[in-house]
Amino acid sequence: METYLWITSVWGIYLTAIVFFGGMAWRIYQWATTPKSPVRLGMFPKPKSGAGRFGKLLADTFIAPQSAKIEPTMWIFAMAFHVAALGAFVGHLRLIHEFPFLPEWLGEAGMNTFAAWSGSIAGILMLVGVLFWIVRRTFGPYKSLSVPEDYLLLFLLLGVVAMGDHMRFVYGGVVHAATYREWFLSLMTFKPEIPAELLASNVGVSLGTHMLFTDLLLMYFPFSKLVHAIGAFSSNLVRSE
Amino acid sequence: MDSTQLTTLTGVIDKKMNRQLKQYMDICARCAICKDACHQYVGTGDFKYLPARRAELIRQIYKKYFTKTGEFVPALYEARDPDENLLDELYDSTYACTGCRRCMYYCPFSIDTAWILSVAKAILIAAGKGNEMLGQLADAAIFKGDNAEMFNDVMVSGFEDIQEEVRAITGNPNSRVPVNKEGADILYVALAGAHSIRPAAVIFEEAGENWTISMFEAANYGFFYGDVEKARLITKRYIDEAKRLGVKEIVVPECGHAYRVAEFFYEAWSKEPMPFKISHILEKVDQYIKAGRITVDKGLIEGKVTYHDPCQLGRNGGKFEEPRDIVKAVTDNFVDLTPNRAEQWCCGGGGGIVAMEEFKDVRLASGIKKVEQLKASGASVLACPCENCRLQIEELNEIHELGLQVWQVIDLVVAAMPLKGTKPTHA
Ligand code: SF4
Ligand code: SF4
Repeated sequence: METYLWITSVWGIYLTAIVFFGGMAWRIYQWATTPKSPVRLGMFPKPKSGAGRFGKLLADTFIAPQSAKIEPTMWIFAMAFHVAALGAFVGHLRLIHEFPFLPEWLGEAGMNTFAAWSGSIAGILMLVGVLFWIVRRTFGPYKSLSVPEDYLLLFLLLGVVAMGDHMRFVYGGVVHAATYREWFLSLMTFKPEIPAELLASNVGVSLGTHMLFTDLLLMYFPFSKLVHAIGAFSSNLVRSE
Repeated sequence: MDSTQLTTLTGVIDKKMNRQLKQYMDICARCAICKDACHQYVGTGDFKYLPARRAELIRQIYKKYFTKTGEFVPALYEARDPDENLLDELYDSTYACTGCRRCMYYCPFSIDTAWILSVAKAILIAAGKGNEMLGQLADAAIFKGDNAEMFNDVMVSGFEDIQEEVRAITGNPNSRVPVNKEGADILYVALAGAHSIRPAAVIFEEAGENWTISMFEAANYGFFYGDVEKARLITKRYIDEAKRLGVKEIVVPECGHAYRVAEFFYEAWSKEPMPFKISHILEKVDQYIKAGRITVDKGLIEGKVTYHDPCQLGRNGGKFEEPRDIVKAVTDNFVDLTPNRAEQWCCGGGGGIVAMEEFKDVRLASGIKKVEQLKASGASVLACPCENCRLQIEELNEIHELGLQVWQVIDLVVAAMPLKGTKPTHA
């Protein structure tokens, strides 16, 4: 157990950080150094002012109103997933620092309840989103559009979310954020250690597996279609050029 | 596959590579949201017409030869060589595409599939698989540009005939179709055929415009064919003419791609700033009506009138309101199609597909959405400022017995003008 955690949740994380940030930087460098299309590829309606274009860029990227119009079901699931993922990301920031204000308002028990609820909702929404995508991809009439990359990513994502949910639902009441924070901060300060409490509680297997999937997903991220997370901004901007 | 051929084809991608293309290759989520945007996929259910699939064929080559992951684990992306199988499917999905960019409108990342397919066309041409019909039409246009004097007499006598018709319509013996007029303000680049010149001439003359007619047509088969150099040469014919005559403005006719080529593509092809203002004829007509330079009577057009946005003029050209304002000026009985403007369904006739007999089946099947829209509108007259759209819709009209009159917008305008001469019948 301890070795598993050291591999997935200590050294694996360091490696992932290097590959992820290096890969993303390399990806952005590649895009930035390739010359722009000589033809203006914009379409109409096209905002006239710079502010208008910026607003449209944000709306198109974060809300995708056109996609909502043409395939509402897909949009709802995709939106739910992305918002939940953002929520989960924000929730995970507790690994670095406890939220300001919230604990004071809610009290320690209240904070734990709040985290349990919001974390559970986000976890479920993400799970539902991933399952929806797997089904849609596997059984839709256009399933031949999918390539192994798509399934690999969904599989990794499913692993991340399922194990995260497992930690939330099974150990949520046993191990609290403070314990994980101890572990995570030790990584951030390059004095990695695995708190005894984690090892004692049996949550180690879920944490290790959650991290294993996360490591793999994030290491593949810069080399996969998931770079739409940053590429969408610039490609949507071109829409109003 | 043969290594010279492989080097050539991947070389084409390399030469055409730019930031947008690279991003489109890298970020498509294969979410298939674009599927319902494409009239060809919706009309046929055929996988090869799904927009993202069309792009995926280029992506497969890109992954294998332009990315490390695809090079090492091609299976992950189904990456492969541009072999005969791939090129054959690519041919169908590329030349069938009407370039309407409806898929781009709905894609969450605004991926321009038609732009990706411009690379596909370059690959096909390099592989000797460009569409022959479009290639021949493009070459014929270039030949005409190189040998203009050979065509001069027949063109001039054709314009004289049209001038007679214009006089009969206006009832004014001084109405003209000015040819080679130096110092004119406007060079009107029409389509081949009197129908594109006659009503425009009536309007220009009645508006007292200082104009002249071009010896060349605005249609550009080099653009449809996918050869940038050919497309440039075809456009250059009238750009040079405009320079020679010293006009201020080039006006393109009721043709979708002609406007897009002149306004959006030519600068990139020629690598020089466009020296003229480019207008679509309907922008001018709209101005004439609003400024009172021509008079139109409501009530001369019978029946309920609707309007179809040609993709290259609407979604891709931004001219949504001018044509509508014109139609509303000639009738009170106007109804829009649903959806309209940027969301307008492609009629299925764009991108040169009407010239390619081999795509007739998919073309007609892809018109089903347009047919539904037209039926639902209850209109009996359709105004449509694009020749390819009109050809397609006329054919749908016949097959589906819509009983529709399909008009050029300028014909509608002339029919609504209180003129002294004889009323023309449309088109
Ligand atoms: S909608 Fe856009 S991202 Fe989705 S499959 Fe189509 S092109 Fe790709
Ligand atoms: S541009 Fe139009 S025809 Fe071509 S793939 Fe997109 S929706 Fe289909």
